[in-house]
Amino acid sequence: MAIASDRELKKGNAELLILALLEEKARHGYEIGKLIAERSEGVLRFHVASLYPLLYRLERRGWIKGEWEPAGGRRRRYYRLTPTGRKILAEQRSRWRAFSGAVNRIVEAGAAHHSAASYSMEAQHA
Amino acid sequence: MPDWKKIVREKLGTLPLTNGRRDEVIEELAQQLESAYEEALAQGINEQEAMQRSLAQFKDWERLRCEVFQSVEGARLPVWEQNGAFSPRRWPVWIALGLSALLFALPTFRQALEMIPLPGSYPEPPSSQILSDAALRRVEHSGDKQKYARALAFVALHSPKEDDERAVQAAEKAIALDPQLTWIAAKISHATYLYPGYDPHPWIERLKAWDPQNGFAYMLEADANFHWWETPWTKYSATPGGLRAALAAEPRWRISMEKAFAAPRIDFYDAQQFALDRQVLLEQGFDRPEMLLAAGWSQPVPVLMLISFYIDIQLKDIGETAEKAGRTDDALAAYWSVVRFGERLKAEPMDTAQTYSNKLRRDAYKHILPLLRSNGRAAEASAVESALAALPRFDYSVEPSYFSLEAMGNRSARVIVVSAILVALLGTATILWLIFVIALKWNADFSRPFNRLASSLCFAPPALLLASIALFLGYYPYARSIAQFHSYKDLEYGYAPVLVGLYNVTRFGNLNDVWLSHMFWPSVWCAAVALVGAGLLWWMRDRPRPDHPDAA
Repeated sequence: MAIASDRELKKGNAELLILALLEEKARHGYEIGKLIAERSEGVLRFHVASLYPLLYRLERRGWIKGEWEPAGGRRRRYYRLTPTGRKILAEQRSRWRAFSGAVNRIVEAGAAHHSAASYSMEAQHA
Repeated sequence: MPDWKKIVREKLGTLPLTNGRRDEVIEELAQQLESAYEEALAQGINEQEAMQRSLAQFKDWERLRCEVFQSVEGARLPVWEQNGAFSPRRWPVWIALGLSALLFALPTFRQALEMIPLPGSYPEPPSSQILSDAALRRVEHSGDKQKYARALAFVALHSPKEDDERAVQAAEKAIALDPQLTWIAAKISHATYLYPGYDPHPWIERLKAWDPQNGFAYMLEADANFHWWETPWTKYSATPGGLRAALAAEPRWRISMEKAFAAPRIDFYDAQQFALDRQVLLEQGFDRPEMLLAAGWSQPVPVLMLISFYIDIQLKDIGETAEKAGRTDDALAAYWSVVRFGERLKAEPMDTAQTYSNKLRRDAYKHILPLLRSNGRAAEASAVESALAALPRFDYSVEPSYFSLEAMGNRSARVIVVSAILVALLGTATILWLIFVIALKWNADFSRPFNRLASSLCFAPPALLLASIALFLGYYPYARSIAQFHSYKDLEYGYAPVLVGLYNVTRFGNLNDVWLSHMFWPSVWCAAVALVGAGLLWWMRDRPRPDHPDAA
């Protein structure tokens, strides 16, 4: 399978993160933003001003569905995956795995080669 | 606890979403702010700072508004709902548009636009045709109808060479109505260049009869007779000496030149032509200095090379020969005839005539001075020496003041051309923007592509104003009505530098002559083919190859 272009990948990553978080259970916008920061240990930070337009876009495409539900004495809008969204998530996840696996194989092979060379040089010096 | 819904509603402004979606969005964003606020309070932050921290999540509310609308509706926010700096809801945009329209209403601004040389526009240098055929016919028609001699004379002077019959007819009618316009016969004679099948002599005779004191008619006659003599000329040596000797032996040319030299005055009628051109152009609504300047290009000037031959005959063949033979008085008479001719030529205001007058007087004085000294006529020699020293060393090509005018004109021309191109592009964009914006005001759901284009082109009205101001300022130093110019020389110094600069800037290596006429449509076709090709490549980009397993 061909890997998508860089622009599509970046755009797709944001979508992938949201779809993946909604796979487990329905969540509201504030929770989604917090979870992305927590689970990535602060590496990924989602700008809140971009989060809501993205949620609305995914909802318009029919990948997620938002519904008002009571929560802690007030109502909140919870988003959950639709069957189409689940299919898209599977595709995007598979694409991401292919991409990250390919990158890892190159990066880790380079690191292994570097370690082996360092060890060999140290051995010669010894 | 702050009223978060109220805050969001105020900051977000109008959000034209349907079916209660607007309230849902406001509520959801308010919850985001409220949650962040509560979290900050729980961390022990005071209320004011917690509120600031919460609001800092949305820095650009206008952008958020646009993005929310686009995400929900799948289309841009209607242009009339946008609050961007250049959106049609902002009154400065309409003020910018109004100011641009005001600039367009200024005659100076239109004059700046009209002077841009475009293919097919008039005047077209170096032709004497300053008006299009249609415009010239209108002038002729009105001249005929009103029996207005000056309009007809204008047509006679500025008809294209190819339409000589029309020029002749117009000249006949003009002179019949007003004999004071007989000077136009100089132009109609076409005496200064060979015009196959055309006899210039009747017109020259007419001019001689009307203005017998003027040497110009005789110079034209000499020119016409030289052209008549051109065929036998080829058998003579090409060296100037050989040709001069042959010409001196040709009575038809020599006698005319003798009469030109002996005439009491020399007038090329440029003051008359300037006044006529300026008057008719103003009357016809063409208050355009570049047209008046181009009108001067049609002015007939005698062939200077032939005058040089005659001067050499006087100075070298007659004067020096007499000097060698000891006939001092004869030699001086020949030399002084050149000085007197130069003085008469000096009265002519054209730069070329004045430079030439200086040159030939200097040459004559340099012959006279040693002859007087060798004959012991010290007092006369001293007077000649003073006259020689007083001759201005004017050289058109190295005149410093003209150089600085030319440099200034070139700089202005660059500003004018760049600004004019921007005015044309931005003017087109503004007109499109205006059409789309009006259509969308009339019906907000008129067309999504229109809304997208109107949003994209919103920069055009303010940018048009800036480009128009640049054009106006670039041209302003040269902005004058043609009524304010009093001679061609005025125009040459006050206007020609920028016009010449403009032609140099816009020519781009004969762009007008070759590129536009031969390469314009091929380039359009190539661009169209390239676009279609690029579109196909883009479409094919994600298609599986036929040999790919997915292709099946």
